[in-house]
Amino acid sequence: MALLKVERLVKDFDGLRANDHISFQVETGELVGIIGPNGAGKTTLFNCISGHYPVTSGRIIFDGKDITGLKAFEVARMGLARTFQVYAASGDLTVLENIMVGCFLRTRSPRSARIRAKEIARLLYLEEVSDSLVSELPVALQKRVSLGTALGTEPKLLLLDEVAAGLNPAEIDEMMTLIQRIHHNFDITVLLIEHVMKLVMNISQRVIVLDSGRKIAEGDPRSIAHDPNVIRAYLGERYARFLPKGESSGP
Amino acid sequence: MDIILSSLMAAMLIGMVLSLVALGLNIIFGVMDIVNFAHGEFLMIGMYTGLLTAQATGMDPLLTLPVAGCVGFLLGLLCYGAFVRFLLRGPMLAQLLGTFGLMVFLRNLALLLFGSEDRAIHHGLLVGKSFELGFGVIVPATKLAAALLSVFAFGSVWLLMNRTRTGKGLLATALNAQGARYMGIPTERMNALAWGIGVGSVTVAGALLVNFWSVNPYVGLLFTMIAFTIVALGGFGSVPGAFFAGLIVGLITEIPGFWDFLTFTLNLDWMSRVPMTSFKYTWVYLAYFVIMVVRPRGLFGWKL
Amino acid sequence: MEALRNALDFSDFPRTDLYVVAVAALFLLVFPLFPHSSFAMATMIQFLMFSIYGMGWNTIGGYGGQVDLGKAQYVGIGAYTTAVMLVRWDIPFWISMPIGMAVAVCWSFVLGYPLFRLRGHYFAIATIATSLVLKDLFEVWDFVGAARGLEISPIHYDPPDFLRLIFKEDIYYYYIILGFFFLGILFVNGFRKSRLGYQLRAIKDNEDVAASLGINVHWAKIKTYAIATAFVSLVGSFHACYIKNIEPEDTMSLHISILIALMAMLGGAGSLWGPIIGAAVLIPLKSYLKEWLGAHAGLIGIDLVMYGTIIMLVSAVEPRGIWGLMERIRGRRRG
Repeated sequence: MALLKVERLVKDFDGLRANDHISFQVETGELVGIIGPNGAGKTTLFNCISGHYPVTSGRIIFDGKDITGLKAFEVARMGLARTFQVYAASGDLTVLENIMVGCFLRTRSPRSARIRAKEIARLLYLEEVSDSLVSELPVALQKRVSLGTALGTEPKLLLLDEVAAGLNPAEIDEMMTLIQRIHHNFDITVLLIEHVMKLVMNISQRVIVLDSGRKIAEGDPRSIAHDPNVIRAYLGERYARFLPKGESSGP
Repeated sequence: MDIILSSLMAAMLIGMVLSLVALGLNIIFGVMDIVNFAHGEFLMIGMYTGLLTAQATGMDPLLTLPVAGCVGFLLGLLCYGAFVRFLLRGPMLAQLLGTFGLMVFLRNLALLLFGSEDRAIHHGLLVGKSFELGFGVIVPATKLAAALLSVFAFGSVWLLMNRTRTGKGLLATALNAQGARYMGIPTERMNALAWGIGVGSVTVAGALLVNFWSVNPYVGLLFTMIAFTIVALGGFGSVPGAFFAGLIVGLITEIPGFWDFLTFTLNLDWMSRVPMTSFKYTWVYLAYFVIMVVRPRGLFGWKL
Repeated sequence: MEALRNALDFSDFPRTDLYVVAVAALFLLVFPLFPHSSFAMATMIQFLMFSIYGMGWNTIGGYGGQVDLGKAQYVGIGAYTTAVMLVRWDIPFWISMPIGMAVAVCWSFVLGYPLFRLRGHYFAIATIATSLVLKDLFEVWDFVGAARGLEISPIHYDPPDFLRLIFKEDIYYYYIILGFFFLGILFVNGFRKSRLGYQLRAIKDNEDVAASLGINVHWAKIKTYAIATAFVSLVGSFHACYIKNIEPEDTMSLHISILIALMAMLGGAGSLWGPIIGAAVLIPLKSYLKEWLGAHAGLIGIDLVMYGTIIMLVSAVEPRGIWGLMERIRGRRRG
């Protein structure tokens, strides 16, 4: 049975349709990527799934239960964690304390939370900075901290929102390894939004493509890369004529 | 019958003046998202300015408006330049703290300078005169003049905001400061201007108000709360909203009057024992609370 | 049990800090044994009272980042419950105080639920509104003496009365409030290391992220608000027995709410020692200013003018208060 089922999801903002009847499924244990040009509605989709936005119509079924309309913290408690694209950390929490907050979902004891958080920090190579303030760290490390915090909640499904944004190539490689490790060792299903093609195409088992609020393609990374609809969405109609004859369809 | 009509009239008149009071708050908030706790203190300053100018020069109180307006405008610019613009860099706590401190400072400075007794205007062209509007409704001339002038001031500011280039600049800064900057609009100057106009409108309102409301250093807080309620009801950021909300809040302040009317018509003994007059402004505070919980966006608001 | 161990554990502060704390604690313990003026004693008691007020406020206002400017209503609830119970039914402090706390906390839940739907400025103003409404109500409610207030006359209680907390000499009051003071510190220390403490700090940082970690933001705020209320109401009850004469204007006015928030903000909201530092600076300043200057009729209000100036300076220069300044100088950050 699919861990996550999104059925004909619609999200409108005062006349702008950000998500237009999107449907897809994610099976337990998969690592699925979502790509699409800017403004395609990817983060909005995440926000709807995680309960941060109310849904206009459609259903979201997670772990067999209908979570449409549930509040964000209720969704998180059911085992669906996420990271955020823009996270302006202004506060006075250290790396370890940050991760502890995630762990506190599953335990009431500060001591267990700390032990668990140290463990996660070690796995993500964050030990050296565990007592530094998150706001003072470079972007790459901040992203890892938010990964660690989400992991603290022991999720079944992890939603990653552009974790590779702002990273240099070496950092991207590191992130790729980390995500794969999390996916394998922790047995966590992963759904990620990405613009960095190197990452998403290399580690995803399956890719979903959004454009202007609609799902326009779905499949394994290789076929997606050659899908004319996808190419058209990214490069525009003008470049469709560069496609080999017989492959462009539609007007 | 005439009780209720008088109450309604009084409500309308004071409502118009209150709208002007709230206007300044709205402008400042709209343009730079700062909530000015010291707003009522500026009103109080306007009241003293009007009073003292009239007393010192023997001018008719209603003619002191331009003076109050200028004083307010300059004061607004000064506050912005010397203090507020440093707050904008900090977290919200700093802004809250800051305008709060300004409130405490101004309130007690006034106490220091003017002493705590009530002062009121005792002579002028319209003092003591009243108009009869029919149906037994009598309206003090000062109140009527104040209300009409308020509407005039309100309208002028609205025109300024919507029809002049500067006004549009202000609106642009309100909507998107960063974007406005790219368009070449000098946002720093816009912010200062917003403070100037904002404080200027409220000092004018003060000079109008003092014609029928006595002033002491403590009136600020009440009017700050009233202004916030009006702005919350009308919608933070909406100028027309402030006008209608002002009228509604005016009605709220007249609840004791309506209560008297009901007591009279229904002739229920227990009603006359309820000390409604002490609760005149309590209803305003309650109203703020209820509005924010039930409909935070207010009637016309576009900013939350 | 773990909570208790946490409360007693101050090891995350640097050694030097702890030495200073130890010295200060010693000073507080022995202060009354040295010759002192009654004015100094009164100031010290005030300092301790406002430290506790500030510490309570700090839980929701500092760690939680929700600036609450309506705490005075809970001072009133605590004070009036104790005063009414004593005057009408001769109920001792140690029973009336917890009852007062219970009433205050219940009321805080009732208010908290709608209040915390608001944020930032709107929240702050709403807290002012609720406090003013309650004060207005008390001013016309005859059961509590309306605007005249209530008076606890100690004529019958000459020997030190530990049950009702009626003493002729201030020294007894001093040690009782000192006891509460130390307890308060321990509590806040435990709080900031507890699950709720961490959650609150995450909320202050970024509410959406906190929610995505399974934190019921609304409920966490309400719970903390109730804790702050408990602190405030406790001191309110004490206040009734100490001042022995309470009326809405001095226990429940906006002025009190402002002072409470101010102590914590000036000293450093969001830190353990902040509110205490704030009280240590502001209370003596306030008392001595009033003594020296306020007596001259022409200078009434100057103490508050200075307050206002201090607040403005702090907010423009270092919103994290004195503690924040110290941390900036030392180049480290600890809460």
